[in-house]
Amino acid sequence: MPYSNEQSRRAFLSLCLKGGASIAALTSLQLQALASSASSSTINDYKALVCIFLHGGSDSLNMLVPTSGSERADYEQSRQNLVVTEPITLNTTTHFSGGVGLHPSMSALEPIFNAGQLGFVGGVGTLITPTSLADYKNKAVPLPGHLFSHNDQQATWMHGQEKVSLNTGWGARILERLNQHASFTSNISLAGANPWQVGANTTPYALNKNGITKINALRGYQPQVDHVKSIVDRLLSTTTNPIQDAYASRLSSSISNVQNMNALLEQAPTLNTQFSDNPLSEQLAAVAKSLSISNQTGNKRQIFFVSLGGFDTHDDQLIRQPALFATLATALSEFHSALAELSLQESVTTFTMSDFGRTLTSNGDGTDHGWAGNQLLMGAAVNGKELHGTMLSQQLESAIDVGGGRLIPQFSNEQYFAPIAKWFGLSDIEVSDIFPNLANFDAAALQLFK
Amino acid sequence: MKMRFLSFAAILLLSACGGGGETNSNNDAAPDSSSSSNTNTTSPNNDRTDSNSDSNTQNNITPGSQTETPNNTVEQGDESGNESSPEEDNEESEGAADNIGTAPIVDLKPPGAVLRKGNEIIINSVVTSPTEHLTYAWTQVAGPEATLIGTDSQNLTVILPTTHSVKKDLFTFSLTVTNNAGLSTYVETDIESVNAMNEFQASALLQQATLGATLTEIQAATGLSEEEWLDQQILLEPTYHTPFLENYPDRENPSHINRIDAWWKASLSAPDQLRQRVAFALSEIFVVSDANTSLKGEPEGMVAYYDTLLKHAFGNFRTLLESVTLSPVMGVYLSHLGNEKADAERNIRPDENYAREVMQLFTIGLNELNLDGTAKLNDNNTIPTYSQQEIAGFAKVFTGWTFAYSARWDRPSRNYTLPMHAFSDYHSMEEKALLNGDIIPAGTGPEESMQQALDNLFSHQNVAPFICKQLIQRLVKSNPTPAYVERVASVFNDNGQGVRGDLAAVVKAILLDDEARKYSSVLVHSGKIKEPILTKVHLWRVLNARSELNQYYTWNLSTTYGQGPLLSPSVFNFFRPDHVPNELQALGLVAPELQIATDSNMIATTNGHYSDLVWRMAERKNTLNPKTIYMYGQSDITMLSNNGLQALLDYYNLVYFAGSMSDSTRSALVDLDSYFARKDAVHRVAQLLYMVSLSPDFNYQN
Repeated sequence: MPYSNEQSRRAFLSLCLKGGASIAALTSLQLQALASSASSSTINDYKALVCIFLHGGSDSLNMLVPTSGSERADYEQSRQNLVVTEPITLNTTTHFSGGVGLHPSMSALEPIFNAGQLGFVGGVGTLITPTSLADYKNKAVPLPGHLFSHNDQQATWMHGQEKVSLNTGWGARILERLNQHASFTSNISLAGANPWQVGANTTPYALNKNGITKINALRGYQPQVDHVKSIVDRLLSTTTNPIQDAYASRLSSSISNVQNMNALLEQAPTLNTQFSDNPLSEQLAAVAKSLSISNQTGNKRQIFFVSLGGFDTHDDQLIRQPALFATLATALSEFHSALAELSLQESVTTFTMSDFGRTLTSNGDGTDHGWAGNQLLMGAAVNGKELHGTMLSQQLESAIDVGGGRLIPQFSNEQYFAPIAKWFGLSDIEVSDIFPNLANFDAAALQLFK
Repeated sequence: MKMRFLSFAAILLLSACGGGGETNSNNDAAPDSSSSSNTNTTSPNNDRTDSNSDSNTQNNITPGSQTETPNNTVEQGDESGNESSPEEDNEESEGAADNIGTAPIVDLKPPGAVLRKGNEIIINSVVTSPTEHLTYAWTQVAGPEATLIGTDSQNLTVILPTTHSVKKDLFTFSLTVTNNAGLSTYVETDIESVNAMNEFQASALLQQATLGATLTEIQAATGLSEEEWLDQQILLEPTYHTPFLENYPDRENPSHINRIDAWWKASLSAPDQLRQRVAFALSEIFVVSDANTSLKGEPEGMVAYYDTLLKHAFGNFRTLLESVTLSPVMGVYLSHLGNEKADAERNIRPDENYAREVMQLFTIGLNELNLDGTAKLNDNNTIPTYSQQEIAGFAKVFTGWTFAYSARWDRPSRNYTLPMHAFSDYHSMEEKALLNGDIIPAGTGPEESMQQALDNLFSHQNVAPFICKQLIQRLVKSNPTPAYVERVASVFNDNGQGVRGDLAAVVKAILLDDEARKYSSVLVHSGKIKEPILTKVHLWRVLNARSELNQYYTWNLSTTYGQGPLLSPSVFNFFRPDHVPNELQALGLVAPELQIATDSNMIATTNGHYSDLVWRMAERKNTLNPKTIYMYGQSDITMLSNNGLQALLDYYNLVYFAGSMSDSTRSALVDLDSYFARKDAVHRVAQLLYMVSLSPDFNYQN
């Protein structure tokens, strides 16, 4: 890097991104940014989606619980020793019989909810078509493949469709549909490879949560670095078969991406918001840092993926679940502050996905793999202070219980994704194209955005 | 071993007296017990009364002397020391005994040692009884074409061909000895030759079958056949990891890092490398992990679990499955330890975690499979192997089990190393639905239920293709052909002796298969991306990595390499066997290891290699930090100084590339070195090794 002075570097980067300068070290980024801005002529605003995946299948029917009446009694009867006591009462805009109570360890979300910047989606899950208990038992309708299996249901959530012929994720698909995927910085993961961000022409850039990653071999005396780099490039361009080539091209792009990202991140402002040192806060801190330089990358749309594991609470749920929910709420709250600091509350929507809900019945000290659950989304654009969808009855052997308290979703996850995609900028036609099963449902049932 | 001896004109008689059949071989020509070659004085000819069978008559060179020979045959039979048939011979040949001829008595003496392809060997003949005025005529009767020298001499020189196959070659050579009276004797000898791996072949095998071979190990395997090396490895005593588990300095217990330390020590030093490699592969199928779980505090249990995999790596799959299932570490990881029978009043039913994963991940998978690993289809749809009903059934099986020697159910001993024990009171006595409609009847206790359930899983037809394909993917290649999977799965189902689940036989079948050895056609997608942690182990083994305190405290394996022993982020391992990276989607190829080849992991891995190979090359240091793990490159440095760059690259090509260093890779390394030519040899070696470590040729195991 021939620039020793921070100011000139910044000016240069800005110039590069406008297509007005050229230098070997930044060529690829420049080209990507150019391509991106050229294709985004119709998009003038900036928006980003942040997906928080709760790995393992969150018992989200314990995130939102009834607070009163027969609904509460049913809940206490089914949940027994895993009942959440003293939930925080949420004053949702829509009234729900039995009330809506938030897990007390998520109190950090209460002010955001009350400020109208956080909403919930109740009773959502993987479905191909509306499904009744009789349909399920008689196999009268197609069902998502391998219900209750972790990796299959994760894939179904992230693909946003049943696996057809291509393994593309809906995050990548909406980015590509808007033609906003040209720059690798448009598609960033803090949690490694994941199906949500893999498209036909884009894969996530896996950012280290520490942000800047130096490449040891390419530091120091510049002529040596140049020579070493030229040898690396030669090695990575001569391969003999496609699998080897996949390795080589990945390493090659990793090196250039990391170098380009480092150049950008070095300019990132220091945020006042303090993030905790839990795994999710660390990832969201890195997302916030990336967002802080979004005006430098030329992206009009970005998607981010973070994850929190440990939700597969087969045992010790009474200990593990409060800790997980507290981590989630804390990290969200910190991220919310950071977005306010960056004045990006309107532009960034954060939402959750998870493998599945869990059983209402317990296995003694935990729960097993279920089906329907609840999700949340956050952002100033969100139609907050509301529960969208429904509070599922937590009564065992009800008309939506396929056994053991595995509940049939009343809303498909594609109904949940559709408004998000629409907010991101897709037309109704594009949305129904992205989510092939949406035609089986009311696409406008969930008004998640203001 | 089929042996034949035919004395012309004595065929009828000889055939008759060879009633013992082809097993009555005359072994005096094969003094070595391994008997790679033999002559035979008896006839395997099933049709013992037919002296005019094709194979016999075509070898008669002096027909018409029938009456002269029977006695010779008898004598030869005696002399040959055939222990089972002389009596018969005498008895049956008695009628002709007076008609003594003078045909030569011939004995063939092929070399006694193991014969290898390409060997030049001499087959000696020893003629007793008239030994003068003899003529010799040697021919090759069967086998791949060999070069015969001296076909009219008493002793034949044979240059055995170097056939391109992992299989042994079988040859038959014949000798006809004729005396001046025109009487002839025809004898045959069978010979087999096995491969002698050259060093590149040895290196290629050891890439698949070790955690990363050193030059010494490659040289020790060179000259052996593939099967000999595998057999040697399988017979080695297991190197267990528990003896390597030390207490953390100044503490009374080991900590998590000591478990990692033990894994390094054993992996780097163990002679039973094949077992270590297979156990590592098994640890990526039967996944347990102490990354962010309570097991992080149980290093003894974790090491004991790894030892379980080592112990059964060449045992029977059924035993392995039981040991894994009853491991308290697995019990904690997948929560069947402490799992109780249903309590309807409290809406409690058995934990389904292990029931589900033992089927989905450890034995049969989600869908019905053909023997070749492809999915069975019904109207173009896959067929699920189980439903919630079977999960509920198996969940009941896995109730009532807790730590061994627990005084009471609610007072667990927390012994993480011994197999779990059962408490009947906490076991579900309900009827339990198993696979294929099998049922464990109500009232069956925990031990018996466990046995029936594991038998039920083990007998499912999916196990062989499901497990074998994954083992192939861990050891050999990402995209095995269905035929390869089927060949290995068939061995899983029957090792040739009617035994199902013989993992030693499976491992041999995997590594001896044509598709693994590539003696015949070279397949395009014939290899796999190496696991990043295994590239590190390979480099460390070759470079004798060690610290002065003999500590291998590698704290950040997961963040640096995206993986580490028993450090998976979930029971689904670091990567899935069916992972299709974006780059390979159009080709429909899987590359599981690329699932963790993210930008951050790839940079971290190359940085890890760089700090090992460049920053921590011991020879670059004046003083060594006792805790730091250094690489020792002295032999490379010496080679570069004394023999030059090309010699060093030849060595790297052997040890790191198993001969697959392409010309372009070599020339890139040469050009790299040209820049550093003025620096000292240690610096040059370090830079070369780093570039080796990231090169596509090194990272692709072909």
